[in-house]
Amino acid sequence: MSAPTTDDLHAITEQVWLSYLDPEGVNPFLPSPDAPPSPHVIAAVSVTGAWEGHVVMTFSERAAELSSAALLGMGDDEVTPDDIADAVGELVNVIGGNVKSLLPDGSLLSLPHVVTGESAGNTRWPAAVEVCRLQGSWQDEKIAISVWTSKSAGEGA
Amino acid sequence: MIIVPTAMIIDDSRAMRLILRRIVTQLGFEVHEAGNGKEALDLLETVDPMPQVALIDWNMPVMNGLEFVTAVRSQERYRQMTLMMVTTESEHGQIVRALAAGAHEYVIKPFTPEAIAEKLALLGLVPSGIV
Repeated sequence: MSAPTTDDLHAITEQVWLSYLDPEGVNPFLPSPDAPPSPHVIAAVSVTGAWEGHVVMTFSERAAELSSAALLGMGDDEVTPDDIADAVGELVNVIGGNVKSLLPDGSLLSLPHVVTGESAGNTRWPAAVEVCRLQGSWQDEKIAISVWTSKSAGEGA
Repeated sequence: MIIVPTAMIIDDSRAMRLILRRIVTQLGFEVHEAGNGKEALDLLETVDPMPQVALIDWNMPVMNGLEFVTAVRSQERYRQMTLMMVTTESEHGQIVRALAAGAHEYVIKPFTPEAIAEKLALLGLVPSGIV
């Protein structure tokens, strides 16, 4: 079983968007070279066991609001910080779960972890190296999805 | 007397509970919600009639979906309740574990409303003509 690729992330993201954020298929996630601008909202799940690493979604604050509003069926001016934490946490949970399906059996997925505000800008994974990254925009707002593996696991692979 | 079918949605994500609530409500179900397996077990003690079906996430805090399925299947009084896992866990071994513990069906996230409706129809829980 090989490591996940950017193409894998794109296919998973398309499926998640069609299921939850763009069921009519009229407003897809569009890959682009631009990273989300600060301030960020970061949602992550960790994978442990047979494979060690993280799946991370980085949203511009506006992208997080729009995604949460779409997922919850609310107006984007109605979503609260708790709504955003819940909704982007579920998005990374679903994307992370589908990434995990590409990894060796015996890997476990953590509960999602969401960081907002200044703390998000300081979020780092110093003991991990990036495996692949998908950057894009949705409703003109930037979102990045990346997969990281712990250095020790990567060196052993 | 008209008996309205009842579903219990067990997921720690409020967003996911809302998505599933919309789907099963459109299929004619009344809905109870719980944020983890323990909350669901506690809720089962209070609701009457017992839900016909529970839609159960796997990864939840306090009590996960597999533990809930195991707990429900250990009690004779819940024997009639249909259990459907709705989860990101797609590893073959995990699916086998859930089915062996007593789950009837397994849906992998992301799902479409049609996929949930079709599974419920296969289980005989949706009146013909709705799906």
